[in-house]
Amino acid sequence: MTVISDQDGRDLAALKRQSVSLRSLKSSVSYLVLTLFTIISVGPAIYIVSPAFRESKSLFSYPPQWLPNELYLGNFEFLLTETNYVRWAINTLIFATSVTLIALVIDTLAGYAFARMQFPLKRTLFGLVLATLMVPTAAVLAPTYLLVRLLDDWTFGIVGIDTFPGLILPMTVSPLGVFMMRQFIETLPPGLYEAARIDGAGEWRIFTRIVLPLLKPAIVVLGIFVFMMQWANLLWPLVATTRDETRVLTVGISTLQGQFVTNWGVIAAATLMTLIPITIVFLFFQKWFVQASVAGALKQ
Amino acid sequence: MAEVIVRQLTKSFGDNTVVKSVSLKADDGEFLVLLGPSGCGKSTILRLVAGLEEPTSGEIVIDGKIVNFVSPMKRNAAFVFQNYALYPHMTVFKNIAFPLATARMAKAEMNVAVQEAARILELSHLLDRLPSQLSGGQRQRVALARAIVRKPAVFLMDEPLSNLDAQLRQQTRLELMDLHQRLGITTIYVTHDQVEAMTMGDRIAILRDGELQQVASPLETYEQPANTFVARFMGAPPMNLVPVTVEGSGLSWKASGAGGLIDLDLNAMGIAQSIISVHASETLKLGVRPEHLSLAAVGRGLSGKVRFVERTGSETFVTVQMGDENVVVRCSAHESASVGEQVGLNVRIAQAQLFRADGRNLRTN
Repeated sequence: MTVISDQDGRDLAALKRQSVSLRSLKSSVSYLVLTLFTIISVGPAIYIVSPAFRESKSLFSYPPQWLPNELYLGNFEFLLTETNYVRWAINTLIFATSVTLIALVIDTLAGYAFARMQFPLKRTLFGLVLATLMVPTAAVLAPTYLLVRLLDDWTFGIVGIDTFPGLILPMTVSPLGVFMMRQFIETLPPGLYEAARIDGAGEWRIFTRIVLPLLKPAIVVLGIFVFMMQWANLLWPLVATTRDETRVLTVGISTLQGQFVTNWGVIAAATLMTLIPITIVFLFFQKWFVQASVAGALKQ
Repeated sequence: MAEVIVRQLTKSFGDNTVVKSVSLKADDGEFLVLLGPSGCGKSTILRLVAGLEEPTSGEIVIDGKIVNFVSPMKRNAAFVFQNYALYPHMTVFKNIAFPLATARMAKAEMNVAVQEAARILELSHLLDRLPSQLSGGQRQRVALARAIVRKPAVFLMDEPLSNLDAQLRQQTRLELMDLHQRLGITTIYVTHDQVEAMTMGDRIAILRDGELQQVASPLETYEQPANTFVARFMGAPPMNLVPVTVEGSGLSWKASGAGGLIDLDLNAMGIAQSIISVHASETLKLGVRPEHLSLAAVGRGLSGKVRFVERTGSETFVTVQMGDENVVVRCSAHESASVGEQVGLNVRIAQAQLFRADGRNLRTN
């Protein structure tokens, strides 16, 4: 039997103290870094709240005023009565929802095909899909614009500039979504497909009855991603819309900026109102989001 | 019910041939076990029969029809997977009903069929549960219920018990045998566990490196293995194989090995003198099961030194070293042999096997 002497005991206690202080140092540094990143990412969103409830003239007062003396709702009133904010919001909802739904259909089907089906040039095609991930959106803006203008003639104005199909369709193709769905589908056990095939299910039934229900968390995550990206999309809607009938919030808000005078209070209020729905969507689906993020990390 | 025949079946994945010209037949209502070590091609044969893989060459016949180009669902064969392959988002009811729903069976009829399958496998109280809420044994029963609900002509089972613990495996083994007796459906069962094969199969087909080694009843594979591979694979501890040279003429033949001389009673062993005289110049292998050896006083026969004594409670295994070879002797629980002791060995020669240099059994080949 080993006997622990007093000296050994003191050494153990010192080692324990050393390990505890090292751990607290590590955790302090982690908290510091995390706090810094939180301030950088959340700061602008919080900063927008105060100007939204203040008159524009008070925004540039000296010394700077961080909190309003009273809640001024004039900016919101101006937005709702003097601008087309409601129309832009409805347009944004139509745009983001349509893109999300269509993208989900395309991405899940393409992801399934790449993950499970055998067809000629499969690897090459998937390589091409991945390659498009590396092309920046701005680089394809002009060709996309030209294509949609051409489609305007070919489709007798159904798909064109200043139309919803013209605004929506180019955004529905997302290589990231195809890649993500393919990866999720590949994690499903092959035995499920084989069992379903033996049970008499064809490809479509396997996709709709077995794969889609199991993909629910991935679909929700991709849906939130796409919806959030399109809700905040400025570049393509700016190019593809010139009239309020099809303008979305991001483009609409940018038109509030005058050449000489800008009502920053109104812009802050518009930004705040634009942020609220997307925050609610995220909070509502947060549980699914976390669930999908850890999917595959845990033993099934 | 149906018979299943595979003729000259070969399957290659690229340059790797995993099934090499295998011909087999499972009779109507038979329980045929495919047995072999990992990578011997037994699961591939099952998947080929099921239609989950396409053969490189050869024929698969189910119920008199060549099914090489028939889709898995039309082969009328149900497959039970090693990992159960239950649909995790469906309840037990929906899992069992899935093949019927796919076949567009009327709801009332489907309900009756599912209830019947659930009753047979004692799952009636679990129909509303999800697979994640079931134990391993219950999941396996759901997989079986999903297989029987279609009333298939053939059952194909790919190591269905290997994910269960020892106790549950034994219980489920009995349930499977009972199910087979009640339904009488032709079953091809893949396993690497020779105890499962021995206890369940009407016949066992033993495979090695994609080649068929022997197809016979469990007792025959144990008592008269076709070659040294089968001799070593069947039985735990495996058959003792001792290199010997034989010499003699007429009725007097002797095997001489490192441990001494043994009289070979060729009549009792069922070996023709003409056969043994052809192979007398080769180094043969004498195969003796541990239960066909017994410890004796040191005499003119085999002898050696005790190296290990392993007691299991019901019996004792004594390992005896004879020259470079170790042989295991199955003794009674209270055998008093001790390590280091010099002992003699008696051989029940009528049960012993003699293998050629290439491994084939002289008694059967």
